[in-house]
Amino acid sequence: MMGRRRFFTGIIPTTVWTSIAIRSLSCNAEAKTVEQTSFLILSTTEAETLSAWCNVIVTGAGNAGVAQFVDQSLSRAQLASLLLLRYLDASDMTGFYRNGIAGIEKESAHRFAQPFVQLTKSQQTEMIADAVASKMQVWSDPDPNFFYFISRSDAVDVVYGTEAGFVDLGIPYLAHITPPQPW
Amino acid sequence: MAKTSHAKVEVLIVGSGIAGSTMAVELGEAGFNVLVLEAGPERQLSDMVSSQIWSRRLRWAGPEVLESGDLVGAANFAMGWGTGGAGLHWYANWYRLHPDDFHVRSLYGRSLDWPIGYDDLRPWYDHAQAYFGVSGDTDPNAPPGASYPMPAMPVSKQSSAIKKGFAAEGLTLTPNTLAINSEPYNGRAGCLLDGWCDAGCPIGALANPLVLQWPRARKSGVDLRHNAYVTRLETDASGSKVTGAVYLDETGQENFQPADIVISACHTIWNARLLLLSSNDQHPNGLGNCSGTLGQYFTSHALTTIHGLFSEETEPHTGVSGANTLCLDGYDDKQPTTGAFGSRAWLVGQAAKPNDLLGTALAKPDLFGEALNKYLRRASAHYGNMTVLCEEDSIPENRITLDPSKRDRFGLPQAHVTNSLPKENAARSDLAKAEGLRIFKAAGTSDAWAGPQNPMHMMGGTIMGRDPSASVTNSFGQLHKVDNVFIAGASLFPTPGAINPTATLAALVFRTADYIRSNRSALVP
Ligand SMILES: Cc1cc2nc3c(=O)[nH]c(=O)nc-3n(C[C@H](O)[C@H](O)[C@H](O)COP(=O)(O)OP(=O)(O)OC[C@H]3O[C@@H](n4cnc5c(N)ncnc54)[C@H](O)[C@@H]3O)c2cc1C
Ligand code: SF4
Repeated sequence: MMGRRRFFTGIIPTTVWTSIAIRSLSCNAEAKTVEQTSFLILSTTEAETLSAWCNVIVTGAGNAGVAQFVDQSLSRAQLASLLLLRYLDASDMTGFYRNGIAGIEKESAHRFAQPFVQLTKSQQTEMIADAVASKMQVWSDPDPNFFYFISRSDAVDVVYGTEAGFVDLGIPYLAHITPPQPW
Repeated sequence: MAKTSHAKVEVLIVGSGIAGSTMAVELGEAGFNVLVLEAGPERQLSDMVSSQIWSRRLRWAGPEVLESGDLVGAANFAMGWGTGGAGLHWYANWYRLHPDDFHVRSLYGRSLDWPIGYDDLRPWYDHAQAYFGVSGDTDPNAPPGASYPMPAMPVSKQSSAIKKGFAAEGLTLTPNTLAINSEPYNGRAGCLLDGWCDAGCPIGALANPLVLQWPRARKSGVDLRHNAYVTRLETDASGSKVTGAVYLDETGQENFQPADIVISACHTIWNARLLLLSSNDQHPNGLGNCSGTLGQYFTSHALTTIHGLFSEETEPHTGVSGANTLCLDGYDDKQPTTGAFGSRAWLVGQAAKPNDLLGTALAKPDLFGEALNKYLRRASAHYGNMTVLCEEDSIPENRITLDPSKRDRFGLPQAHVTNSLPKENAARSDLAKAEGLRIFKAAGTSDAWAGPQNPMHMMGGTIMGRDPSASVTNSFGQLHKVDNVFIAGASLFPTPGAINPTATLAALVFRTADYIRSNRSALVP
């Protein structure tokens, strides 16, 4: 299979992580506030884990609907998928997310004997920093580093890749054809 | 299940991307009865939604490719699916190969030679740039040719910030050459520099097949059938002529489309796979594989992006997705130091939105949480980038094969691409990376870093050559032993140079179309 880690080589000093203060919700999270609670592919528990994971990576991603974004795309044919994963490995996109979410839970249980959503912010941050540094203890498949890369992209998509996200960053959108919905 | 059979056409083209659609226009306008079979769906300009998220719908949605080696990962990103193929989301950087790129084996004793030289292709490059509409200035480092039909794009704030770094290295930055209108051209609008090319240019400032080729093709009577996945070419009993193509339609029904001439234009991997899948008693190792080289000499460009944050505002969201400026200084020095081999080209100042593979956020994939938020706010106004393309030697070990143990969604053996960068090319790429970081530091970046090495563009696999025992086609893309089959696209390139392939691909299409027109009576009974 292709070298998935190829897109992600930056391993940064762990000291950077210790000072990170996580805000619970970002001011740009209105990008697409999603109330929906039922999912098409993911279970509610899986969606909550993914949402919490992405929310630590990009503040506001949970509220912006990252789990719904992933879930909706997984429910569609590859042709209609809006996920970045389709560029890199479209062989089993649902399996990739399912196994990645299971990996988060396995690692969380091993380290803290708790589901990821119930961890403290600093415990969640520690786990993500270790995904960046390829230092997961029990989660190996899919490669946690690559899962971080993909889920980070999904989180960036829903928070910063929309018209509202551009406004938040002070970037003029300048559309030729305005997206019918953020995603 | 019995195959549905259709009325015979004179020319059957497989794939509606830039190669297939340009060929369709050339032969349709010459009076041939032409049909194009396209695996993907019909596309409209209205599908080109300005969003990096929505743009993913335009991308490859065909069978998966297995990839192995140390320079892989480009396959799904590099290909299109549906009317116009990757021509709907390409960046339109437009360059000619340099004269030496055609004779690497003769000059350096490595890689391969083309069966033609720069002078053979020069008139077709001239023709292609007028046809597509290219803007640019004269560049003393570019090969000779006609002046570009449009002036260059204005130099962007990103390029202005980076330019002093090139000057400090004694290198010259010139305006880029692009198949994008710097002013209205042939009824198409001028570019608005809004940076959305990656999601498609619905106003047609960027030459894409929906605005350029398909209106002409339809006018000349070319027929286009979507959702038609070609699975093999059939030959007559002697094996010397192809009789047509088998394809699956959207219901999964097998169809047979008879034709006098078949042109495979379904991109590098799929051109090779289609010939491999077409093996029969007369061609046990694949159609056109009497030399054993079918699938071999796959090449890519080793790409590294240098990123930086500048003190001045760079407006990174503006400009075009392709580069704003270019440095070809030193391109012709293929041996810059002992142990390193290959040309390199710098493409400078690509427009960057926050998300997607080339976005500002993924430029720093290690950042998350507040650090990412802080970085993005600064990068949105101060980010700059440039990308180096480095040459890869053509070697037989890098190749496209079939993996019979794995089946794709159509039940066909999966395509397997093996690509590893030869050692001396890797050393060349390392030199370029160091050069890029020096340039960014000299330009005064507060923070400069290099991204990972990635492959970009896919070439080779059905290479042209003079010697039928060492190549798949002649210089017109015609199979050596089956003369009514032609290949169109970058899979024909014996060597890749270090520049984006589409200008060369287009020049070759025009040259082949001219050959088919001139030999009409021999090719169409
Ligand atoms: C993001 C991006 C940016 C790029 N930027 C540049 C650039 O700046 N400059 C440059 O020179 N090049 C660039 N390229 C490369 C350029 O897009 C390609 O060289 C060019 O589009 C290839 O054209 P093609 O017709 O050979 O293939 P494609 O455009 O891939 O078309 C092939 C078509 O064949 C169809 N097909 C495949 N298999 C079958 C089958 N079995 N049956 C029927 N149909 C089939 C596919 O659906 C597709 O529509 C870029 C590519 C990408 C992805
Ligand atoms: S930047 Fe120019 S070429 Fe690109 S999409 Fe906009 S108008 Fe089209």
